[in-house]
Amino acid sequence: MKRLALLIVTVAVAGWACAGGTPEGPRKLKFALIPKALDIPVFNYANQGAQKLAAELGDVEVIYRGPDHADELKAQEVLESFISQKVDGIAISVLNAEFLTPTIDKAVAAGIPVVTWDSDAPASKRFAFYGVDDFKSGQEMGRQAAELLGGKGTVAFLTSLGAYNLGRRLDGVKDVLAKHPGIKVVETYDCQEDSVKASQLIASGTNRYPDLGAWISVGGWPVFTQSALAPVPATTKVISFDTNPPAPDLIRAGKVQVLIGQKYFGWGSETVKLLRDYIKGAKPASTIIDSGVDVVTAKNVDEYTALWKKMEGK
Amino acid sequence: MMRFWRQREFSTAAILLAEIIFFAWYLWPDGDRSHPFLNRNNFLLILKYSSIYGIATIGAAVVIISGGVDLAPGAVIGLTTVVMGYLFVEAGWPLWAAGSAALLVGVATGLLSSWLIIRVKLPPFIATLGVMGILRGAGFIITQARFYDLSAKLPRNWHVAGVSIDWLGPAVMVAAAIVFQRLMTGYQWGRNVQAVGGNEMAALFSGVPVGLIKSSAYVLSGVLAAASGVVLAVVQGQGKADLATGYELDIIASAVVGGASLVGGRGSVAGAVLGALIFGVLRNALPQISGATFYDRLIVGVVVIGIVVMDQVLTRRGSTA
Repeated sequence: MKRLALLIVTVAVAGWACAGGTPEGPRKLKFALIPKALDIPVFNYANQGAQKLAAELGDVEVIYRGPDHADELKAQEVLESFISQKVDGIAISVLNAEFLTPTIDKAVAAGIPVVTWDSDAPASKRFAFYGVDDFKSGQEMGRQAAELLGGKGTVAFLTSLGAYNLGRRLDGVKDVLAKHPGIKVVETYDCQEDSVKASQLIASGTNRYPDLGAWISVGGWPVFTQSALAPVPATTKVISFDTNPPAPDLIRAGKVQVLIGQKYFGWGSETVKLLRDYIKGAKPASTIIDSGVDVVTAKNVDEYTALWKKMEGK
Repeated sequence: MMRFWRQREFSTAAILLAEIIFFAWYLWPDGDRSHPFLNRNNFLLILKYSSIYGIATIGAAVVIISGGVDLAPGAVIGLTTVVMGYLFVEAGWPLWAAGSAALLVGVATGLLSSWLIIRVKLPPFIATLGVMGILRGAGFIITQARFYDLSAKLPRNWHVAGVSIDWLGPAVMVAAAIVFQRLMTGYQWGRNVQAVGGNEMAALFSGVPVGLIKSSAYVLSGVLAAASGVVLAVVQGQGKADLATGYELDIIASAVVGGASLVGGRGSVAGAVLGALIFGVLRNALPQISGATFYDRLIVGVVVIGIVVMDQVLTRRGSTA
């Protein structure tokens, strides 16, 4: 008991000392940046974009935290903890819109403005969404595939079941391909978010369909290593989502024809800007802010890589 | 006949064979198209990807036979790819040196698990669950949720002495299976592992160094999982903290399907590798059946239960006969 009392006193004194130790300057705005999962590599660029902007602005602090894996219950836990910390704003990529909407509304009710990015919760009280329209970006992939195939041939899809945004992308692809009767979808493969499984499916799928016209991958699993697409013959075209390194190298090597990139850095920097402006009274003109996609091919790959390096600050 | 079936490796091999025959029949192509399943390329694919599980399952089987359980192999595989990626890509070490050093992840894990189990006296399930979390965490801290791209620095279409690098995993798996099957059946160490798993107290009183035997099992499990990780880093070309997430359960299931009893004392290293191949064939063949992709998980679950139930029925009948 005595020890416990001592502990409490120590903590209290330390807390008081810390609080007293902070210089009384203008208080920094504290924003939470929540990705769908920490283990999906592209989200880290959102953090980079946000931190870079925060350093430039000087009056913003960004805390990057999310669930280790795509787990909606853990996402809710992270969100709740930021509400109880009373941060000044939250930017979240929503893992499951229906599930997380009540918690987002709880944050807004507690006076914390929320902006969504990458994946939206349209029915929630968030003031804006910044990201791609997944259906439209899927349509873009479909158009690219139809063009590469000249309107005829076979395609196989690679996806991960259960993710809403991947499903929307695939719907977009199918929507365009349906207008091309010469294109036949032979299989939809589910890699279960496991990049090793994706490699295996590509190898066995190639084995099964040696004369396949194109692979369309609505996630970046095949382009994050040079090994996954090694078994695919030069006659098969590859269209994949995501453009982060080493994906552009695969275009240069001729293994991939088209990459569709999102505004990875913008997920962080644009949402921080939106939150900061909102607190200062400037509301965005539209609730849905379409970031658009980057279409990377052999023609513009060098330009794209140069721009990427600039964004990374290298 | 019954004695033949009680040779557990034979019944596991028979199941594997039946499975191959089934898929060869089911996936028989129309007309003169080549067989999508029954061809040399595809068998290499099955072996290549099964070996990631197969190498680790040898260690998992030894732990299970010793009466324990190891939940860390998936995380060991993940962290090994990260450490190897860091040393090879960032620190510029030669591949062999990076791979050898990465095996130390397995040694360290095995030592930590056995210290927690033998000295701190934690139940193996909890100890290795904790270790699993520590390893995954370490992987994320090192990579900051990004990954190392080993593939860019590896030779394209890599052949060693005329043999494709894809054979690396299968070669390691078969070699390890032969060595450890021999050690488990023909040497004192193997008999001691079985004695500790069968009845720890009795083993202790008959002079078996129980702590040492248990430690050896966990260190072995760690090192073999790390070897899986090295193979994975080479074939997948990535060092990534979340690789092999959840594989520990497939690895344990392979050992159990191959005849290892979760109460300890019984099991087979060769059977465990055959178990890994049974799952490897399923993972390869199911996606080839049009539309069956989405049934993967369900079928794998049913197969685990089916094989273990069949084994129980057979052993029960065997012991009453």
